[in-house]
Amino acid sequence: MQKQAQTEKKIILVGNPNVGKSVVFNTMTGSYTTVSNYPGTSVEVSRGQCLIAGENYQVLDTPGMYSMLPITEEERVARRILLEESPHIVVHVIDARNLERMLPMTLQLIEAGLPVVLLINIMDEAERIGMQIDIPLLQEKLQIPVVGGAIGRAKRGLWELRDAIRDFSGNKATFLYATDLEKDVQEISSLMEGDYILNKRSLVLMLLQRDEEIAQRVQDREGDRYESVENAVNDTVFDRRVDLHLRISLERKRICKGLLDGVITQQENNQPAFAERFSDWTMNPWTGIPLLLIVLYLGLYQFVGGFGAGTIVDFLEGSIFEEYLNPWVIGLCNQYIPWYWLNELLVGEYGLFTLGVRYAVAIILPIVGTFFIAFAVIEDSGYFPRLAMLVDRVFKKIGLNGRAVIPMVLGFGCDTMATVVTRTLESTRERVIATLLLALAIPCSAQMGVILGLLSGVPGSLLVWMVSMVGVFLLVGLLAAQVVPGERPMFYMEIPPMRLPQFQNVMIKTLTRMQWYFMEIFPLFMIASVLLWAGKLSGALQWLVEAFNPVMQVLGLPNEASAAFIFGFFRRDFGAAGLYDLQTQGLLDPVQLTVAAVTLTLFVPCVAQFLVMQKERGWRTALAIFFIVTGMAFAVGWSLNKFLLLTGLLA
Amino acid sequence: MKCTFCEHELTPEMLREKGCGSCIGGCRKIHCPYCGQENPVVSELLEKFIKSDKHISKKGNSA
Repeated sequence: MQKQAQTEKKIILVGNPNVGKSVVFNTMTGSYTTVSNYPGTSVEVSRGQCLIAGENYQVLDTPGMYSMLPITEEERVARRILLEESPHIVVHVIDARNLERMLPMTLQLIEAGLPVVLLINIMDEAERIGMQIDIPLLQEKLQIPVVGGAIGRAKRGLWELRDAIRDFSGNKATFLYATDLEKDVQEISSLMEGDYILNKRSLVLMLLQRDEEIAQRVQDREGDRYESVENAVNDTVFDRRVDLHLRISLERKRICKGLLDGVITQQENNQPAFAERFSDWTMNPWTGIPLLLIVLYLGLYQFVGGFGAGTIVDFLEGSIFEEYLNPWVIGLCNQYIPWYWLNELLVGEYGLFTLGVRYAVAIILPIVGTFFIAFAVIEDSGYFPRLAMLVDRVFKKIGLNGRAVIPMVLGFGCDTMATVVTRTLESTRERVIATLLLALAIPCSAQMGVILGLLSGVPGSLLVWMVSMVGVFLLVGLLAAQVVPGERPMFYMEIPPMRLPQFQNVMIKTLTRMQWYFMEIFPLFMIASVLLWAGKLSGALQWLVEAFNPVMQVLGLPNEASAAFIFGFFRRDFGAAGLYDLQTQGLLDPVQLTVAAVTLTLFVPCVAQFLVMQKERGWRTALAIFFIVTGMAFAVGWSLNKFLLLTGLLA
Repeated sequence: MKCTFCEHELTPEMLREKGCGSCIGGCRKIHCPYCGQENPVVSELLEKFIKSDKHISKKGNSA
């Protein structure tokens, strides 16, 4: 059986996940298939047999891959199969609806010298949304067999695919990149003398994109000659001084655009045309910025600030806790617990129930809940990648690029997890700048919700807070971009289609995130309550509050505000909830409220965020950020207080 | 499951990968290897609920 398998010609199915590869595999092979882990990995590969024109073929269904440059284990296995299994035919299965996004991989397979047959699958769905694809024209342009099909129940295109495999006579096409890139590729490939399954041109392109597995394979084949190849690759990367991965991706995109010219026809007055137009508006600064402001106004200000932090918190905190739960629990404890220390621990000023549970359930939970709903709606619509493209230009001025939208947006959920996500940014420079900006000027959801709820009742206060936050974010970003040394990588991403958010998706994401958040914050709120209780009984808290009092006076705030700042170091949202208490007790006038909100938002990262900063960036950077943020927060708070008192803006 | 930012497919193998270990009660997120987005992992309880909900609606339709 093993011997027979070795002599059989192999058909390898490759393509993105969810394009119908497995359906094609099952249709071609029938029920006699085996599934096993690819040697040395935990990735499963299916193998089966099929008979075409009297000849037996072994068919392999590979894991989903997006490109010949692998990122995941599945993609590495899929590419290894192409490199090691000597395919007779490689069937690249793509989704007709996403032809433009998937065709670059067809080009990669062709330039690798592989015997490619292109199967444009899911044609029925594409036609249903008004797309017409000129298959003969695309075949003529690509110079490889192209089959259109819908290999599902109808098995449309299956016989054409079998015919294309039977009649395959080789792949002759070459698609050239820009002259300078081609010259580099030619120079390096001329140094390579080993035998390879893939085309040398393709290998050089992968070497230029720093593909370590390919580098190892080339080293094995070239032996002593490898040093000259490596030097040539390094010299080219150094000489070009551009992100070659981006450059090559853009070249491929340019070629694909030319190949698809006249191939796809989209019927007018069809729904996707509006989605595409809307998608363009979100990325154009003239229309994108007003749209962003609308999203922020409706999503954050009205829904999170107004409904979450206003209506729901008023109901839970003002009615349920203050009128019913608190009096009942306090009464019970007073009646049955004679010990002062235990009474204080449970229902005292910083009690587990009266502070910890009340903050976590009545104040923070409704706010993060509404924030997560708004976040999931925006996320499910596909707006965030467009936001990344929109802010890319501004972010470049502050030493970042559109990729940093992910940690920044996540920071509005929780700054601690967003700090972890900064590790996905390409350069150390970007990671440091993003960590600094997250610690300084990005409020977390609960903090922002409470602040929106508090400030929206004071005319002008919210505007001052927003201008201060955006101003500090841009100013510190601009300064950091000048001071922090390092590379300036470019940003490029495929934009997924825009769509209407699905109710079920939104609810699943919201509930999942709420569960996660509640599991995270509830124990921390309890721990913070216990620490504050211990501090109160030991006198340490009073000492700390008194130490903060002069700072509060400099900021023009009442001494009672010290507690909110101390809370804020445990958790940002804990501090915001402290501010909520001060405001409901009528201790702050509009100027004080605004100054306290701005200072508290900018104020030091919470304990968890600081620990993550230390873990991700090291002690030196974490401490530097801590002192910069603390200094900046009080400097801005002091300046704002003087400015507001001098101008009488919020008086 | 698809990444909510870049829409790359997140495979069961990625879901099985262990998290950093810093979250109380275990990891409930998955980082997309393509863009870094943090995607929430649906809890087993919620997943069971969704499945039973689908099952009920299918039965309802067939009736």
